[in-house]
Amino acid sequence: MATKKYLLGIFDDEITLMKAVKGVRAAGTKIYDVYTPFPVHGLDDAMGLRHTRLHTAGFLFGATGVLLMFLYITWINTVNYPIIVGGKPYFALPAYIPVLFEITVLSASVGMVIAYFVRNGLSPIRQEPPLDSRATDHKFVVAFDAEELSGEMDNVKELLAEHGASEINEKEID
Amino acid sequence: MNMSEHFQFTSGQKRNAFILMGIGALTLVIGIIMALSGNHTMQEKIWTGILTNNMFFLGLSLAGLFFIAVNYIGYGGWYVTVKRIPEAMSMFIPYMGVGMLVILIGLWAHWHHIYHWAAEGIADPNSPNYDRLIAGKVSYLNKPFFTIRIIAYFAIWTFFAYSLRRLSIQEDQLGGVSQYNKSKVLAAVFLIFFGITSSSMSWDFVMSIDSHWYSTLFGWYTFSTLFVSGIAAIILFTIFLKSKGYLPQVNQEHLHDLGKFMFAFSVFWAYLWFSQFMLIWYANIGEATAYFKARLDHYPFLFYMILVINFVVPFFALMTRNSKRQMGTLATIAVIVLIGHWFDYFLMIIPGATGNEASFGIFEIGLTIGYAGLFLFVVLKELTKTSLVAAKHPFFKESLEHHT
Amino acid sequence: MFVSPIREPLITGNKDYHQITEDIARPTEGRPQIGWIIGMGIAQVALLLGVFMMLWTIWYGIGTWNLNRTVGWGWDITNFVWWIGIGHAGTLISAILLLFRQKWRTGVNRAAEAMTIFAVLCAALYPGIHMGRLWVPFYIFPYPNTRAVWPNFDSPLLWDVFAISTYFTVSLLFWYIGLIPDLATLRDRAKSTLRKNIYKALSFGWRGSAKQWQRFESISLVLAGLATPLVLSVHTIVSFDFATSVIPGWHTTIFPPYFVAGAIFSGFAMVLTLMIITRKILHLEDYITIGHIESMNKVIILTGSIVGIAYTTELFVAWYSGNIYEQYAFLNRAMGPYAWAYWIMMTCNVFSPQLMWIKKLRRNLVATFILSIIINIGMWFERFVIIVTSLHRDFLPSSWTYYVPTFVEVGIFIGTLGIFFTLFLLFARTFPVIAIAEVKSIWRTSSNQAIEKFQQQEEAEAAAEKETATV
Repeated sequence: MATKKYLLGIFDDEITLMKAVKGVRAAGTKIYDVYTPFPVHGLDDAMGLRHTRLHTAGFLFGATGVLLMFLYITWINTVNYPIIVGGKPYFALPAYIPVLFEITVLSASVGMVIAYFVRNGLSPIRQEPPLDSRATDHKFVVAFDAEELSGEMDNVKELLAEHGASEINEKEID
Repeated sequence: MNMSEHFQFTSGQKRNAFILMGIGALTLVIGIIMALSGNHTMQEKIWTGILTNNMFFLGLSLAGLFFIAVNYIGYGGWYVTVKRIPEAMSMFIPYMGVGMLVILIGLWAHWHHIYHWAAEGIADPNSPNYDRLIAGKVSYLNKPFFTIRIIAYFAIWTFFAYSLRRLSIQEDQLGGVSQYNKSKVLAAVFLIFFGITSSSMSWDFVMSIDSHWYSTLFGWYTFSTLFVSGIAAIILFTIFLKSKGYLPQVNQEHLHDLGKFMFAFSVFWAYLWFSQFMLIWYANIGEATAYFKARLDHYPFLFYMILVINFVVPFFALMTRNSKRQMGTLATIAVIVLIGHWFDYFLMIIPGATGNEASFGIFEIGLTIGYAGLFLFVVLKELTKTSLVAAKHPFFKESLEHHT
Repeated sequence: MFVSPIREPLITGNKDYHQITEDIARPTEGRPQIGWIIGMGIAQVALLLGVFMMLWTIWYGIGTWNLNRTVGWGWDITNFVWWIGIGHAGTLISAILLLFRQKWRTGVNRAAEAMTIFAVLCAALYPGIHMGRLWVPFYIFPYPNTRAVWPNFDSPLLWDVFAISTYFTVSLLFWYIGLIPDLATLRDRAKSTLRKNIYKALSFGWRGSAKQWQRFESISLVLAGLATPLVLSVHTIVSFDFATSVIPGWHTTIFPPYFVAGAIFSGFAMVLTLMIITRKILHLEDYITIGHIESMNKVIILTGSIVGIAYTTELFVAWYSGNIYEQYAFLNRAMGPYAWAYWIMMTCNVFSPQLMWIKKLRRNLVATFILSIIINIGMWFERFVIIVTSLHRDFLPSSWTYYVPTFVEVGIFIGTLGIFFTLFLLFARTFPVIAIAEVKSIWRTSSNQAIEKFQQQEEAEAAAEKETATV
């Protein structure tokens, strides 16, 4: 695999980070990604990230699951093997509600979680190494793709230093 | 931002409220004339109409008081910008005390027969009115004890509503945390009383109408009805004030949270509705199913409509994040929820009180409009008495900067 | 963002982000303490006893549980409901408190969620071993089969299957998703290659990128929104096991929310029991503060009072109903052969939590610890009273009987305690017991330094206002 070069601006707290991200974007520089030890409120908007549609996926999974289960239970109890239970009609909708509710929650959750893992690129085996391992501890890392910056490198370094970066590093990943 | 901003109850608004009250009064007068001329149906309609509206609007007022109390003990900060609204709503409680007094007078004078347990000779084995089942509970269901309980309810609720209101006004003038701390204690004590009385009042006013029936969930079920209706009313008052240019501090964040409450408690109401219905349906025991059979057999449209309006509509309409941040959507759903829960009370009351031929018509609409006019008048009048903004509340600044 | 300084700080001790990582990660590194080893030893003994008793049951049959007409459900279902109830606190803390934006949840949610998963596992054992043929458990699922049978969708026992499977799955997923960023923290701190590789696999390659966090927050919120009704539904469906019947004392419409309130009540008590010990042994008092303990005690007063009101309501309506069987059921509870169990239940559940109205007790660790144990004993008795008193004397007096458990059942119960504590101790050694990333996210507004800053800010503003007023 070809080596990729990154420029990293390291910050010590999220407030300085937010100002820096806004400043860098205002200067028109493209940020590769930002790594933080916890979710920083407003960072995705500051970076211009599109909102996630994970909740829509969840709703669709849930709706599909419950519809299929409803048809299944109805078919079982009215067509395939109708049995009179407790004097209730074959199609005993109040009795199905608890199961249908659980299936809705189960399908929505499992579907969304799978989507989450896929979209976030999370896998126990295929992984890219973190650019700075302190990003899961106490440092806030703004990363730029060194190739995309090319001639701008020094300007960006200056910009980062102006906005309070405590370290500015270059990193190579194979 | 004007911290001492007061609501100006304009003469135009007052006039509108009086028109609504006038419609109600006119409806009532015409109804009374009809009833006195021998129209029995109208006589029943008058009394059940009064009771239904008493319950509905009492529910709204109690919900306001409960909402404040619960936020005091839960250290809630976000709601402080809208706090004056539930406070004002809670001031309506004594008015519904008068409403229930009317029912009480009608009870003692035998002008209505809503409560079968009040019939003469109900506990006398030699009387043609004797009912063995009701006779067994006549030590609870009798006119004197019933009267004492009602007086106690309104005394307790009014005491706490007025006390919390007074502390809130004092806090406006004095600042500091002393009123806040006292309010916390009052709120906690109120909630103990409310926990008991909210259930027992629903047994007294509503469950005892179907005198042979009982449901241990009934008290909590009616609580969920009143609470979600109260949230809807708070939302509507908030949006009304904002539309007149007041409450600039209330933003989408606060509305979002109110919308979340309306969504969540509509779901909670449906959960309790289903629990009560399904368990009675499942065990299929006649003395319990009779309640639902009467409603499903004779009022099926209302029965299912209540479920659709109070659960299906708010559930789908308020699911997305954006829907709860738009005043138009929130207001529409709030109105629908209020109408839906009014019918909830209606269907709880009329089958047992009037039998199987009761109807909903112009009289009910007129009377409800009248009650609404009175409610609006009293609440808006209360809002003029203090600043609209509880600026000295310790959590006010948090509420201003609230972000969901 | 502003937080009113009358609130207590949720992180004390002048921590910074790195210190938070250190404090919470350290217990998973290094050698196990002697206390952990002893605890593990005791738990193992209990676990082995339980396994032995379960095998005994499967070999000899349910008769070894003294279950017969009319008490077909005894310690088994009591323990089943008890464990499920305990599990509810975890989901409540994670989900409902997230929706109510109660920041104090971040100190306890990780451990509470883990507790949920372990409790549900213990609960699920019971249907497993008492359904008859443990080796064909998949029979309960509705798949097309050659036996030409379907499960009975009209039965609450089947609803239970769906409820508990869903609850276990969703709780596990919710817990694990929250764990991933913290496991990445452990990965990046790992010194040995083996440890690093294990946490690499477990943390799924988490990097903490902005987009990852965005999806993380979205899924946390949606899962919380799903888990909240799920929590309500699970114990509701468990209550349906009783309430759908016609047995006096069982068939009552208040059971669903009453069971849920009771579950939250017992769950929070168990969280308190575990947290009071954990915070001391792992030196995490700065993250699980007395304020946290007090907040949990307030939930205990609330839910305990709801349970108390439910008891009163049941008693009143039993009389009000005029139903002689219902009336006898409650009379029998208070004054019949199991009255001792009933009054233990009342004392533990209704009277003792009311002590928490006293602020000094709410903030006292010893009082809280003792009370948390009392509550769990009380809630065990509640399920026992509901199940056994209603079954041992129902409609036909000639069938009236008296049930006592056998050593087999007691052994199984002790075994589940062993399983629970084994899992919890393993959890405390391998995973961070507090949600590191979440605690860091509230540091800016709720650490003691932040509250002091807000206090100074307010005083400065008040002083400035005084100045402009006097000018």
